[in-house]
Amino acid sequence: MAKTQNDGLLKAPGPSPLGPGFSLGFALMAPAQLTLLAVVLLPSLMILWLGVTAWQPTAGIPWYKAEFIWFWNFYDLYFDSRFTSAVLRTLLFVAVCVLSELLIALCLAVLFLDEWPWRKLAVSVIILPMMIVPVDAANAFFMLFSARGPINYIIAEVLGREFAYAWLADPQWALLPIMLAEIWQWTPLMFLLMLAGLMNLPENQVRAAVALGASPSRIFVKIMLPLLSPVILIALIIRSIETFKIFDPVYILTRGGPGSATESISMFMYNGAFVFFRIGYIAAAALLVLVLVVSICLPLARVLRR
Amino acid sequence: MPFVQSLVGRKPLARILKRTVVIFAMALSFAPIFWLLSTSFKPYDEWAIYPPVWVSQRPTLQNYRIVFAPDAAKSFAAAQGGSLDYKVAGSAWKAFVDSTIISTAATFFSVVFGTLAAYSMVRFKTGGEHSAFQFLTVRMLPPIAVVVPMVAMFSILNLSDTYVGLVLAYTAFTLPFSVWMVRSFIEDVPQELEGAAMIHGMTQLEAFIKVTLPLIRGGVLATALFVFILNWSEFLFALTLTSGGITTVTVQVAKYVSASSGTLYGVQAAMGTVSTLPVIVFGYLIQRHLVRGLTFGSVKR
Amino acid sequence: MGMSKQPIVVDTSRRTFLNGAAAAAALIVSDGYLAQPAYATMLGTIHTEAAEAAKNLAAGRQVTLKILEPSGSLGNIKPVAERWTAATGINIQYIEVPLGEINQKVMLEAVSKSGAFDIALPASFGLPDQVEAGVLLNLDQYAQKYEPPGFRDDYLYSTGDFYKGSLYGYLTDGDTYSMFYLKDLLSSKDENKRFADKHGYGLKVPDTWEELDAMMAHFHRPEKGMYGGTLFRTQYFIAWEFWSRFHAKGFYPFDGDLNPQINNEAGIKALTELVNASKSQYPGAKTNGLFENFEAYGQGNSFCNIGWGGTQKYLNGPKSKVAGKLAFGNMPGGKVKGTLIRTPYFNWGWEYAVSAQSKEPEIAYLFALFAVSPAMSTIAVRDRDGYFDPFRAAHYKDPEIQLLYSADFLKVHEASMRDSIPDLYLKGQGEYFDELRVNIQAADSGQKSPKQALDDTASAWNRITRRMGKRSQLVQWTFLKSMYPAGIRKSLT
Repeated sequence: MAKTQNDGLLKAPGPSPLGPGFSLGFALMAPAQLTLLAVVLLPSLMILWLGVTAWQPTAGIPWYKAEFIWFWNFYDLYFDSRFTSAVLRTLLFVAVCVLSELLIALCLAVLFLDEWPWRKLAVSVIILPMMIVPVDAANAFFMLFSARGPINYIIAEVLGREFAYAWLADPQWALLPIMLAEIWQWTPLMFLLMLAGLMNLPENQVRAAVALGASPSRIFVKIMLPLLSPVILIALIIRSIETFKIFDPVYILTRGGPGSATESISMFMYNGAFVFFRIGYIAAAALLVLVLVVSICLPLARVLRR
Repeated sequence: MPFVQSLVGRKPLARILKRTVVIFAMALSFAPIFWLLSTSFKPYDEWAIYPPVWVSQRPTLQNYRIVFAPDAAKSFAAAQGGSLDYKVAGSAWKAFVDSTIISTAATFFSVVFGTLAAYSMVRFKTGGEHSAFQFLTVRMLPPIAVVVPMVAMFSILNLSDTYVGLVLAYTAFTLPFSVWMVRSFIEDVPQELEGAAMIHGMTQLEAFIKVTLPLIRGGVLATALFVFILNWSEFLFALTLTSGGITTVTVQVAKYVSASSGTLYGVQAAMGTVSTLPVIVFGYLIQRHLVRGLTFGSVKR
Repeated sequence: MGMSKQPIVVDTSRRTFLNGAAAAAALIVSDGYLAQPAYATMLGTIHTEAAEAAKNLAAGRQVTLKILEPSGSLGNIKPVAERWTAATGINIQYIEVPLGEINQKVMLEAVSKSGAFDIALPASFGLPDQVEAGVLLNLDQYAQKYEPPGFRDDYLYSTGDFYKGSLYGYLTDGDTYSMFYLKDLLSSKDENKRFADKHGYGLKVPDTWEELDAMMAHFHRPEKGMYGGTLFRTQYFIAWEFWSRFHAKGFYPFDGDLNPQINNEAGIKALTELVNASKSQYPGAKTNGLFENFEAYGQGNSFCNIGWGGTQKYLNGPKSKVAGKLAFGNMPGGKVKGTLIRTPYFNWGWEYAVSAQSKEPEIAYLFALFAVSPAMSTIAVRDRDGYFDPFRAAHYKDPEIQLLYSADFLKVHEASMRDSIPDLYLKGQGEYFDELRVNIQAADSGQKSPKQALDDTASAWNRITRRMGKRSQLVQWTFLKSMYPAGIRKSLT
């Protein structure tokens, strides 16, 4: 790319809509930055304050007059098994869902490398789950997994006996419908990614390997996968970030129950803030989660730019 | 990919196997949607019956009536001998109107702000690498964390349960997508084009508007539709930042319960089917760009 | 003028706190409930009077009242609201929120202070939190002005309306628990003989939990497709059943100093009996919600059920196979110090409450008064598809309501309402109950022994009380104890 007069300049020439003293670039960024300031930065500062108080609306005093309690919230959180369970459970969600989505998507994508008459239709149907409003998809799964519902019916037919298991009411198995809903909804995204990645692979290396007589599986593992790894990495990071925040399926399918057996971090914070109204306590939890997320995701996100 | 044939097997058996797996995947993908669609046409007694009814032999529009025209639903039910097959409810039109207003406005602001910011980041390197990541960290934050402070802030500013409040929240949380997506489109346009325009006497800004923008028009539109889908499907903010004055389609579904019949599955299915239609339509329109959008522009097709 | 945003502080100089009944009497008399109200009127026409007063207040202005209601209750509210608008010209705007969110949305008002609603319908156990958060308006002065004499005489249960001695809401739903039994089984001579031979007394509508447990065990024959009961072993329901069982042993959940008594011997016994009774329940007890329960019991293969008026509306309706085949009973009680006490339990109940942020508090209050007047509330309760169950004596005489619920059931329901023990109306109610039910479920599933479960609950309750402020809680607890039905109070420790 030939150098132009704007290469590498931080200040842009030309009149700036905000008047002299403000660079054009700054002015263009301003609306976006202001929005983020208002909606993200200010509330985050407020959480910093709330997290060191024990404020609850039932205290009858406004939040800015709440009592300062140093770091006792964090201390309580450390010993709160409901909170630590929620964090671990969410990490489990992320691990299981994202890896499952990746594996299924990869296997599927490999099947789509060649052309056949109804390939386009097949792709369209397979990516359909991605285009469903998550809440509606969760409702569908709620109906499907009810104790006297279609899935149990199919299982009963296969097993040849009565099967009326109440998935959503069992502390151990209620996670399954939630994970399935999430996987069902987002595997298509992984599929598209893997497909795009595979289709864009440089042909030369693969051709050479084929010519040298390597078996398909060896070609796949030794050549295609490594070439695909940037895309896989991006996919893993992005889906992990999004899955970490999982809320919609949990709320619709179980509300975090039975008890708190399926609470994700977002569900825990929702219950804590809106059912028990322990706002200060949950603000402290939010801070901890923020620290956790940023410390893990930020170095990973730098990879995205490579 | 010609060499693929050698990879995945030329034998007709292998091909049939592959196609079968694909068909199976298609069936799994479609099954829950099929259930939603089918349930939306079922009469009341078939919603949760066992063994399940796959396709109703007595399809009815009553569920859709309850969603859109509750009074008509009531008369229909009364005509059927006083069945419990209706619900005294407000119509869902308000939810659709509210969702449309909020999603459209939020999309507009998100894309406009995002485009300006993206242009600034690409051409002027404003903010360097920091602002790019700043937008990304917004997506990392669980939205629930900022909800309570936002409620408090909104109360001070009198924005509680208003369109403005929700639009603000939606704009902020979709900015990362707008910025990164448009950024990747702008990067596809070489800087020389603007440089050439400026030599012809245009200012930087004019060059952007008259030369670059038209070229990325398709991309910006795709971004807009993508952001619209996100806004339309959003649930958490709609649930917590409103107290009933504003309802979006995602919250409306939860209202279909009745004291005598429990959860009105059929009605929820009808509501779900209709509210998911815009997302399906827009999604297919921008199918080519979905990958770019959902990976913040890192992967282009 | 009544727009109080501060939590209600009890003026101890004016209401010196004595123990027990004297305190309650002192409160009531000093607040002038029994004194002649300024707006003296007949109970039968209170609705016209209220509408008239509201019309005058709104004269010349266009007033709209916003009601925050849970989804599914519109059938109860609309008929009343339409008559109100016709009588006063004041419009009603409905703000519907999902059923599970109503208490949350009311509490949210404490943070957002948006004035989004004038009237709300929270569940009665949410009132303490909402009052302490300053969301609800103290209605004492309006009640003094407008409540006619005898207004509460036929208001069968109104403990949930009050908090720390002041009025905050009007109950509009009779959610007291009742028991359902299959008449055929109870009157079968064969079964009677078999049971009497084993237990020494004949089959009848049980008076005590011990008798009920024995009968459930007797009738539990899963191999023949017959179950002892379709009681609940799910989250909140299991805690509610324990609440009644515990009180039936003769104790309050806290003593006079707000120390938990829940883990005393009686408590452990009650929990053990509950866990034992689980063996006689139908398979869906651990998982089924309310409507599955209706359908299950409606099949007619289970001896007994527990439920509300809504349960009976279903069981008496076209979809149930047991319509007309049921005998009804109050919740079982227990023998305490030689006397039989009954502990029917009131555990939900929608309340009309006025927002402290409302710009038309007096008119909003008048609507609530209008809606729970004998004439109007009868119309509301008649709705087949709504939540509101009978709560005024007038309802039980209404022919339509009798058809809906069946006269036999109403007899039992009315008796239960008059003597219901209240829920735990304390600040932080949700947290107290959450601890209780988590531990009870742990005991029921065998993860903890009953003693361990209740000890854990007690220590958690102490922590919660400390956090909420013991002095403040003690004020309300003393008041709440004094509001227990008079017949039971002398038997409870």
